[in-house]
Amino acid sequence: MLLQDDSSNNNINFKGGLAMNAVTLKEKKNISYKSCFDVIGPVMIGPSSSHTAGALAIGLVANKLFKGLPKRVVVKYYESFAETHKGHGTDFAIISGILGFATDDSRVPDAIKIAESQGIDITFLEESGDSPVGHPNTADIYLEDDSRSIRTVGISVGGGLIKVKHIEIDGFSLNPQGSLPIMIAISSRNNLELELRRIFKKYEVDINNSTNLEKDGKYLYQFDLDSQLSGEARKELENLSDIANIIIL
Amino acid sequence: MSIKEIVEAANEKQVPIYELAIKQEMEVTKSTFDEVWAKMEKNLETMENAVKRSVEGDGVFSPTGLTGGDAVRIKKYLESGKSLSGDVMMRGVQGAIGTNEVNAAMGVICATPTAGASGTIPGVLYTIKETLQLSREDQIHFLFTSALFGMIVANNACIAGALGGCQAEVGSASAMAAAAAVEAAGGTPEQSAHAFSTALQNLLGLVCDPVAGLVEIPCVKRNAVGTANALVAADLALAGVNNLIDADEVIDAMYRVGRQMPRELRETGLGGVAETPTGIAIRNKILGKE
Repeated sequence: MLLQDDSSNNNINFKGGLAMNAVTLKEKKNISYKSCFDVIGPVMIGPSSSHTAGALAIGLVANKLFKGLPKRVVVKYYESFAETHKGHGTDFAIISGILGFATDDSRVPDAIKIAESQGIDITFLEESGDSPVGHPNTADIYLEDDSRSIRTVGISVGGGLIKVKHIEIDGFSLNPQGSLPIMIAISSRNNLELELRRIFKKYEVDINNSTNLEKDGKYLYQFDLDSQLSGEARKELENLSDIANIIIL
Repeated sequence: MSIKEIVEAANEKQVPIYELAIKQEMEVTKSTFDEVWAKMEKNLETMENAVKRSVEGDGVFSPTGLTGGDAVRIKKYLESGKSLSGDVMMRGVQGAIGTNEVNAAMGVICATPTAGASGTIPGVLYTIKETLQLSREDQIHFLFTSALFGMIVANNACIAGALGGCQAEVGSASAMAAAAAVEAAGGTPEQSAHAFSTALQNLLGLVCDPVAGLVEIPCVKRNAVGTANALVAADLALAGVNNLIDADEVIDAMYRVGRQMPRELRETGLGGVAETPTGIAIRNKILGKE
């Protein structure tokens, strides 16, 4: 049985659908909770795994996409997130993620103050409508500085686990299946796919879904992976950093 | 994957359920036994520390002051020897409430499977480790067994209050704890499955109605019931009282009940005790009038 959100991929109707040459090679049903530690864990600062730890994890996705501190943060909440974010500490959790804190970092409750002291402008908006991705725990995060911006829409599915339903980066717009890990490479080279696949194969990481996009001479490669990347696999991917922006979510 | 498959695999291979869990974890995450073990040991330490912290001094209190200090009260009551439900039960309740008080106070806890339900499993473990004289190793085994059962309910139904109500959180935690407690007590895999289905079935329909959207009222006390219900369900299974509706079917039922719940009763703070006059007054006081 699939969770409700798994069938909602087609409902997304974001602006700026800039995707060209989208190729979906393979889709397979994937299991959300793959590890014992998805249900016994994480070790975290309370009070809510979906509204605090999960919210932090969505913030962390934004952090990894942006790579660095933004000047401005806009967070839109939907449904349960909109109704209960204050009581659950969702605000400081999301900002903790954007700052790159871990779920059990004792600075988590003070994250908003820490961010503001670094000159980051923060806005939280409670949206009254339904979630654009069909899930009650939805956060839409936008980060920008003077030269660039990213946007991501994440859902917190329970126990601290999240799915990433939408990403906007470098003019590209992506709607992944959602389950992490997701690996993204953005490069001016159009021939990276085989090299990336070779690395996944070498470390026995199955690919659940993959997408290639091209826009204005830039190429984006997205792989939804079936299992976590080992430290060695990460290192080998990051060795490509001089020819591509490597993002591992 | 299903609970039926877990029971079959344990019987076929003649291994405990925790061994299946550890093996699967090593395979899926490409980790060594030592890595997987150390991670679960850290989770156990987190649980122990939370229970310990909850009874230091006057106890811990949430920033709102709505919850806190009850674990200390329960411990004192327990020491008076006058508890109606007995020391084993009340020790579990103390562990459960203490853990959730630490959670509400934004302290460090281990989500089991969620933070809102983080007291239920440690509560059971805190009391049966005394009753059954469980070693540290046994306690880590207990957590692996509950994790494997938890993965089934998380993947085949859900564990988020916003999706399925409290039955998905405390209900799932209680069922996971019941199944693991049966194994720790020397029961069969079938008995674990019966304990799981009884525990989840007993909490079917439980709504998620946090006052002011805070994980305090009624969440802290719901964990006391999650622990108590797990102990009862485990005892029933060990006594040979089976549950006619099998565990996988109860998981399906839980999922369907969750989908039938209106959004007011799924972690929006807009129904149940959150919407009582007192619940509304607390919300207005803490969050300001709308």
